[in-house]
Amino acid sequence: MATIPADTRLAPRRETADKLRALLEAAREAPLLAVVILGGLVLVAVLADLIAPYDPTLPVKGANVFDPPFWMEGGSTSTLLGTDFQGRDILSRLIHGARVSLIVGLMGTLVAGSIGTAMGILSGYAGGWVDQIIMRVTDAWLALPAIVFAIFLAAMIGPSMWNIIAILGGVYWTRYARVIRGEVLTLREREFVKLAEIAGASKLRVIKKHILPNVLNTVTVLASLTVGVVIIAEASLSFLGVGVPPPQPAWGLMLSEARPTLMAGQWWLTVFPGACILLIVLATQLFGDWLRVRLDPQTRNL
Amino acid sequence: MIRLRLDGRGVFQILAAVFLLITAISAGVPLSTPAGASAKGKITLAWHAGFASRWLDPQEHDGTATPDNFFTALHDALIKNQGTALYDHPALAEKFAIAPDAKSATFTLRKGLKFHNGEPVTPQDVKFSYENYRGAKADVFKKKTDRIEIVDDRTIRFVFKEPFLDFAILFGTANVAGPGWVVPEKYYKQVGPDGFKQKPIGAGPFKLVRHEPGVKVEMEAFDGYYRPVNAKQLVMISVPEAATRVAMLERGEADIIYNVPGELIHKVSKLPGVTLAPVLSGSFFIEFPGFQDPKNPFRDKRVREAVSLAIDRRAMNQTESGGMGKPTGNWINNDVLYAIEWPEFGRDVEKAKQLLREAGYPNGFDVDWVTPIPAFYSRGERIIAQLREVGIRGRLQTMERGIFFQRLQGGLKEFPGTQIILQGVRIAGSWSFWYEGYFKCGGFNSRDRICVKDLDGKFDQYERSINPAERKKLAEEIQRGILENYYLVPVFRHAFVNAIGPKVVAQKWQDVFPTITTGYAYPWEDLKVKDQ
Amino acid sequence: MTQFVLRRIFYSVVTLFILSATIFLIVRLTGDPVALMAEASARPEDLDRIRQQWGLDRSWPVQYATFMQNAFKGELGKSFNYRLPVSELYFQRLPNSLTLGLAATLISLLIGIPAGIISAVKVNTWWDYAAKGVALLGLSIPGFWLGLVLILVFSVWLRWLPTSGAGDWRHVIMPALALGWYFAASMLRLTRSSMLEVLGSEYIKLARLKGLPDVVVIAMHAFKNALIPVFTLAGVNMVVMVNAAVIIEVIFAWPGIGRLLYEGIFQRDFPLVQGVVIMAGFMIVAINLVVDILYAVIDPRIRLAR
Repeated sequence: MATIPADTRLAPRRETADKLRALLEAAREAPLLAVVILGGLVLVAVLADLIAPYDPTLPVKGANVFDPPFWMEGGSTSTLLGTDFQGRDILSRLIHGARVSLIVGLMGTLVAGSIGTAMGILSGYAGGWVDQIIMRVTDAWLALPAIVFAIFLAAMIGPSMWNIIAILGGVYWTRYARVIRGEVLTLREREFVKLAEIAGASKLRVIKKHILPNVLNTVTVLASLTVGVVIIAEASLSFLGVGVPPPQPAWGLMLSEARPTLMAGQWWLTVFPGACILLIVLATQLFGDWLRVRLDPQTRNL
Repeated sequence: MIRLRLDGRGVFQILAAVFLLITAISAGVPLSTPAGASAKGKITLAWHAGFASRWLDPQEHDGTATPDNFFTALHDALIKNQGTALYDHPALAEKFAIAPDAKSATFTLRKGLKFHNGEPVTPQDVKFSYENYRGAKADVFKKKTDRIEIVDDRTIRFVFKEPFLDFAILFGTANVAGPGWVVPEKYYKQVGPDGFKQKPIGAGPFKLVRHEPGVKVEMEAFDGYYRPVNAKQLVMISVPEAATRVAMLERGEADIIYNVPGELIHKVSKLPGVTLAPVLSGSFFIEFPGFQDPKNPFRDKRVREAVSLAIDRRAMNQTESGGMGKPTGNWINNDVLYAIEWPEFGRDVEKAKQLLREAGYPNGFDVDWVTPIPAFYSRGERIIAQLREVGIRGRLQTMERGIFFQRLQGGLKEFPGTQIILQGVRIAGSWSFWYEGYFKCGGFNSRDRICVKDLDGKFDQYERSINPAERKKLAEEIQRGILENYYLVPVFRHAFVNAIGPKVVAQKWQDVFPTITTGYAYPWEDLKVKDQ
Repeated sequence: MTQFVLRRIFYSVVTLFILSATIFLIVRLTGDPVALMAEASARPEDLDRIRQQWGLDRSWPVQYATFMQNAFKGELGKSFNYRLPVSELYFQRLPNSLTLGLAATLISLLIGIPAGIISAVKVNTWWDYAAKGVALLGLSIPGFWLGLVLILVFSVWLRWLPTSGAGDWRHVIMPALALGWYFAASMLRLTRSSMLEVLGSEYIKLARLKGLPDVVVIAMHAFKNALIPVFTLAGVNMVVMVNAAVIIEVIFAWPGIGRLLYEGIFQRDFPLVQGVVIMAGFMIVAINLVVDILYAVIDPRIRLAR
């Protein structure tokens, strides 16, 4: 009898330790987790029209405003995650919101990446005063707040999702420009570029054939890290009243519109979109970090 | 050659030291207050927007229903709106008389009035304030005033070129214009208009202690005021975020907060010791820009009526104002001169559909844009959802505030096609200011979007008339004309919901918000802090 | 060397020039401030009067010339909304913004640097993931939501901290955390890559060969050398935090420059927005100038290369 307690004391501990270790092993594949999350979100976004139970912009017939999620008292299984202040189905809004947020995140990143890469290559390859001017503008750009852009564009062309993409692209290109320029500066000194130049290749051809392919890795890494930042910035613009216009279901807009309810205890209005944002940003960041280790020569040789 | 040495600890130490130093500086020194009369306690108001410094200077009243919150604390007027008095509560003037022909007005100042700097309030200051006034409606006063006579050391008379029937209303309503608010001539000239806005001196119940532009106005009770001032200190802080204001109230950091959003009304009403103050405020109504165009579906009265029948005013009031607003019949608030009462419009979806069929829209029609006044987007969304039920399909257009008002200024060309605007406004004083601003052809906000000739003709007649009975009749005819034809469709008067914390004495919310012409808590001198 | 410094200064002036023209133009294209200075019952005459009063009736080139002329004298114009010289307003708010910016920078460093070191030294371990997770979390939550959650938890529920405003050190904690946490991720990344680079260098390998314990190697050598880029980035981040912490300052009613900018933009207070942006630009340019010169002093090759 006396020895049994010792065994029973030990056995479960070992078991939990094993479980924990297994969990650790699984989570070591963090990029895999990130890929699963991102893949799932893309799927949801693509299939939004098929899987969303209701129209995300209109109140659900028969539902009240502020219905809680189905497992809480007063909740209903017809609106699984509850309804918002207009009586709209939160789940449907989240599903359609995945589409809006992904489009904004990816397109914003694409615009920023395109401008930034072009500027970076131009700056690094042209050199001289062009380089200096572009780099100084890049510095100064940090001083221009996104909100000023946002209102400027809203005044010029009216609010829309595409407008937001343009704004975010216009804000985040500078980080690409700086990094890409650095890469191009080293590439320019490499033999194969020199040889191509000596062989009489035009500047445009050198850029297309030799420079661009060699900076694409870096662009990819930066892009993966920018997507999340862009999604957060979209939410911030919504908070300032110049984000994706309602009633479009963007996560940032949902979170911003519902923020007073946080103080009133209707947590489901903010926690679900907030969690979605958290998830997608964390996933893109982890994915980006992993990409970086794989693709970025500076950290690859560890 | 300088060697760059940055080791971690050193940098942290420097950062920490600077950080502590700055914190210490910005913490500030507590204010010492001289022992005043019987005033005691401190009341903190959390204001719902930024502060513009012009709101501290009545000489540049911007014509909005905003600066009166500040004027009524720092300054005082000859007559003003207070409690249920719309414009004629005697303040610095102990009595006043308008001549029967409305061609002059005589005011007698109270005895022993003082500005915060100890200087007496004289008729000369009144004259200066009136003549130097440069704010909203200044041109009206200039045009109509012939001369100002200082009769004796307490009496002043304004003499007009022609009968000036609206004088007392314009002069006495704090949220319309500011020439009746008295500033000290000598000081004003000495520091100049901009200097005055930084450190205003007035004759109001509270004098300025500290002004952080855009952030905070700290005031303390003025002993020399002609009425007892109950609270020792009055502090107004700008807190733009609604949820933060509610947290401040819950923590006791603020005693009065303005503008509790719809979602938080229920929660705030349950906080211990807190009283909600739902003040009936701005009116929301629907406008059909360019409805007279033959191609515009809203040209047909039946279609406009169908819109009115489709709108669920009670649901709107319930969700947007916690049921504390009022579904209205008239788009003009009933707390202004000559506003008529009108029964609440009913809701009847079937009848609306029938009207649309009769008008030739059995399947409804599309509206290009539904634009609500910023940032009341959710109200626009509700209207869209309700109109959809009768077949009118609209899309929400959101605009940033500045852009919205600029577009309104641009007139009809900014709202082409079939559009709906959800307007929301509060104008004090007279029904005519509503008409001028939001209906009249060429009006400040209406521009060329509405333009109903016969009503505008009647309005010109009203403006020219010097016969009060005729004016009243015209005012009522015009308002009926708008409502019967659904030129504008009233939605509801929303509640500007404020909250009063446990420290402030209030049996009912009207004790703190007694003035029916405003959403603000004046007269400030009446606010009392509970005994501990 | 003198030529190098002069050239750098010249470029910096060009930068500020471009910035001033950009912001001047953009802010004017956001709309008409006069529509917001008068409302409801104003008449066209009132608008013209206001426009004239602020010199907005003049052509843009004339306005820009006046603006630049004054800027060279150190005057950034007078705010429409506050009726004060913009520079005076700016310096009134600067102490508050510096307090917040420094505290937030500290927090971003306190989270970012240890996390960066851990994830550089213990690559692909649980330490690495946990450190990354903590640092990335701040980047993944929108600031306004984080701010409100902090207020809810620490002010309303626990009653430990005041909700908002500036005052003593307790007022700084929540806004600085909400602001600094966001920047922690960038600190983490930079620290980690700098550390990895340094740890891989011959110099550190030598130190290890000498048999110095890991802790000493990391603390004494690797960390120290990895710090320069980290602090450069922290400096630039801080300029942004000081000048454009719009959301955090709005949520916490913090009387700093970010709110000045916020109200300036929404009220179309042209001189104010221009002023804040120019000041921010000036600081960023100055930091970059100093860093460039310092690097050039340390490493003469930079001078020659450019």
